[in-house]
Formats: sequence, structure tokens, C-alpha cells
Amino acid sequence: MKRTWFGIFTASLIALSAAIPAVSQRPFSATYDNSRQIKLQGTVTRIDWVNPSAFLFVDVRDTAGIISNWAVEFGSPLELERDGWKRSSLHIGDLVTIEGIPARGPTRQASAKSVVLTRSGKKLFTPPASRRPVSASAPAPRWPDGQIRLGVPSGKKGYWGTANSKVLVETKAAKIPMTEDGLLINIADADKVAPFLPWAKAVYERRQRTLLRDDPLARCIPPGGPRQFQMPNGFQFVEQKELGRILVLLGGGDRNWRVIYTDGRPLGQAAEAVPSYYGTSVGRWEKDTLVVESVGFNEKFWLTSGGLPHTEALHLIERFTRTDLNTLKYEVTVDDPRTYTRQWTGGWTIQWVPDQDLQEYFCEDNAESTFIR
Amino acid sequence: MQKRAFFLLLTACLMTSVSVLAQEGHPLTGTWSGDWGSGPTQRNHVTLVMNWDGKNITGTLFNPAPDSTPLGSVVLDVTNWTVRIETDGKDQAGKPVHISAEGKLDDIGSAHRKITGTWTQGSTKGDFRLTRD
Repeated sequence: MKRTWFGIFTASLIALSAAIPAVSQRPFSATYDNSRQIKLQGTVTRIDWVNPSAFLFVDVRDTAGIISNWAVEFGSPLELERDGWKRSSLHIGDLVTIEGIPARGPTRQASAKSVVLTRSGKKLFTPPASRRPVSASAPAPRWPDGQIRLGVPSGKKGYWGTANSKVLVETKAAKIPMTEDGLLINIADADKVAPFLPWAKAVYERRQRTLLRDDPLARCIPPGGPRQFQMPNGFQFVEQKELGRILVLLGGGDRNWRVIYTDGRPLGQAAEAVPSYYGTSVGRWEKDTLVVESVGFNEKFWLTSGGLPHTEALHLIERFTRTDLNTLKYEVTVDDPRTYTRQWTGGWTIQWVPDQDLQEYFCEDNAESTFIR
Repeated sequence: MQKRAFFLLLTACLMTSVSVLAQEGHPLTGTWSGDWGSGPTQRNHVTLVMNWDGKNITGTLFNPAPDSTPLGSVVLDVTNWTVRIETDGKDQAGKPVHISAEGKLDDIGSAHRKITGTWTQGSTKGDFRLTRD
């Protein structure tokens, strides 16, 4: 009898654990209500120092004297460490005052804008907006044959980190007001984002109206297509010239990788490829720019935050130009005649993170901290 | 009894985990299965495969005829997410019959989105329910 119920319990846990990652990394706009502010004061009960977002848990006493436990998201450990935070900067038992943005609905969760040690008044948390960009300090490194080097030289550390945009918008479009995670301030601007076919525009607008709640990234689906270069954990190139290929190690996709063949092989046809998140890619150098063409994508991901759709007919032309030691210009041409009326191009720049390695990142690590509360 | 409870619970949990997987391309692309009929006890299995080629939605109706039938026309109205399907097929006896279905696309964010509506086959009218596999 006991064994039977233990079996039911175990099977339920296994099945539920399969469901949990599905709700672990929602877009900011779908999770938090930017129109509200919250101030919390309480005692730290737990600190989860994990990628992609660090969380602290605080016992807060309300005016009726009832204590409830709040989950407070306070950013990527990578960025926090860059700003001088350490895992040991805060301790269980510390009394903290937090100002931030509350979650939508009744969930006791907030995104911190500031965290202050109540007793000493020491401010622990610095919002990302106040960080200074890395300045260009030297020309882009080159291989002995003169070709630009995209990866890290022997004996050194570094990787490509934060992109200056989390959305993809047609380059020739005027600046379109939207949140950092791609939620349009005015839905009527949808036409300016990309040259959608009617069905694609309707899908995009629906995703916008539902506050991006169906974002595949929220279900820990890998960030395929251009979005792989917008993840906070960055990426790295490993150039294997002798083998005629470049490996892209993706820090934001559960230790995923991608191979760009530079040995002159043809691209092939989308219909012949097994559809995947990163497609099949071939690359060539045009002066100092690596031009990469890819086909063979599946339809399970969004091109970027904000909900840009695509089909299996997607053909991407990416251009990587290291303009100086610290800057990579990324430009992508989206060619998907089943989704867009014509080819269109957008892009962003990405900063080099010196003297560090890509950190481990597993999307599921945030599952327990956040949305099963 | 306990075995039944176990399987019910396990199935419910697995359905929870499976239902969140999504296909993000054209909303109609894929294999759809379900049934149509004139009442709760008069149901006929239906399998449809639809594909968006960039200009038209093409497809095949695998039931109720013994042989598959290409869909005559499929129109998706994205202003209200309604779908209209017209085709000339054959009934179970192999006689030519016109099939017309009009329904509403729901749960678009899910891989297992649904279409429900009215189904007319010859002179018989009923309802239909399709779920994307």
C-alpha cells in the first residue's frame, strides 16, 4: 500500500519536473508590472546566485504583522560581478531595503532597482543603466596572415558579452519606442519593425498584446537565429583555420554550440536540412567581415525578444565585423518569403569581455527560484 | 483502483508538461486531427495536414474518405482568426461530396492549438473539433 502511493508520488514529481522548466524564464514585460513600484524591507532568508538571474529571498512583515517571503530578482550574476558584486556581498540574516518593480498578479516577486543594507545604508545594487560602456582601446587583433581574429588569442581570456540591443528592428526604420525586451509602446508601430506578411503581423501583434507570455525562451527553448547573440551570457568564437571551420560556443543556450564551415562547401537547401535552432551555416571572409549564410531552421523559436516570427524557409545572412578590440558589429539580413514581404536587415553591436571565460548557464537553474512559488 | 489513480495522475502531469511545447511558424502549418459529426454519438474521425507555402495554405484531408483528398481552398482570416476550408471529396461510400468547414482558431500560442466550428458535408451539417498534433 505504502509502496503504491510512493510510486504515485514519485511519478508525479518526475512528470512535474518536466513541466517546471516550461515556466522558468519569462520576458520582463510578461513578468513584471512596470507601471507600479514597490518598497520592501525585511530579512534575507536565501540567496540563489545562479545564471541567468540571481535571486534573493526576503521575509517581509506587513502592517498586520504577517510575514511573507518575497523572491527578488536582481540581475545576471555575470553583470553583478562585473560591477563588483560578489556572492558574499550579502548574507542570510542581513536586513535589507529593496525598491523595485512588482510582479504582475498576486505573486510575491519583484525585480530590484536598488538593494540597500538597512543598518549601514550601504547600497549593494547598481542598475545596469548606470554602467559605463567599454571604450575602444586598441585595433582588432589579427592572425599572422592578416585576417581579423574574432576569438581569443592564445594564452588570454575573453568572450563576446552584452549586445547593445535585445530586439531586432529593420535598420532603416526610425527609432521605434519599445521596452528593452521588445514590447512596443504603441502597437500601431508594428509595421515599422519589419515588412511582415499579414499573417506574420497578426501573430506578432498577438504576441505583443499578450505581453510576450508565449516567448519560447520562457520555456527554456534555445535562443535560435539572431537571438543567440543577444543573450546576457555571451558567446565565443573558436577559429579552427586548419579545419576550415569556426565554432561558436553559446553562453546563453545551455552550453549549445554552432559550427560555421569556412572550407568552401555549398550552403545546401533548407528543405534538405534537418530543421534545428541554429541551422546549418557556411562562412566566407569579405575583407574584414565574416559573412555567414544559414538555412535549415526549425520554427520553435522567436527571432528575437518581441516575438518576430519565421518559418522553415528562413535564410539568414549574418555579417560579423570586429571594428576594434572591444567591439563586434553584428548585422543580419532576414530572408523568409513566407513571413516577410522582402529581405530586411537589422543589427547591433556587442562588447568584448576581457580576462574572463564564458560562464556556465542552464536555463532550468532559475526554475526553482521564480515561478513555482 | 490505485493503479487507475496512478495512471490518471501521471497522464495529467505529462499533459501539463507536453502542452507547453510550441510550434511558432504559420499558425495553420502542421497535422491536425479530431472529428466532426451531427451529434455527440455521430462522430467521424478527421485528419488534416496543412502547409503555408508563402502564398497559399495547401493541404490534404485524410478522412473521412477512404483516399486522401487535396484541400480545395483554405482561408485564414487573421483579423478574427477564423478558418474556412472548402473541398470536394468522397463520402464513406465513395460518392462525391462537397465539404465545407468554418471554425475559430484558439490557443494560438500553443503547439496544440485548436480549431472548432461548423462542418457541412453534402446535406449533413454538424460541428467539428481539430487539435494540432
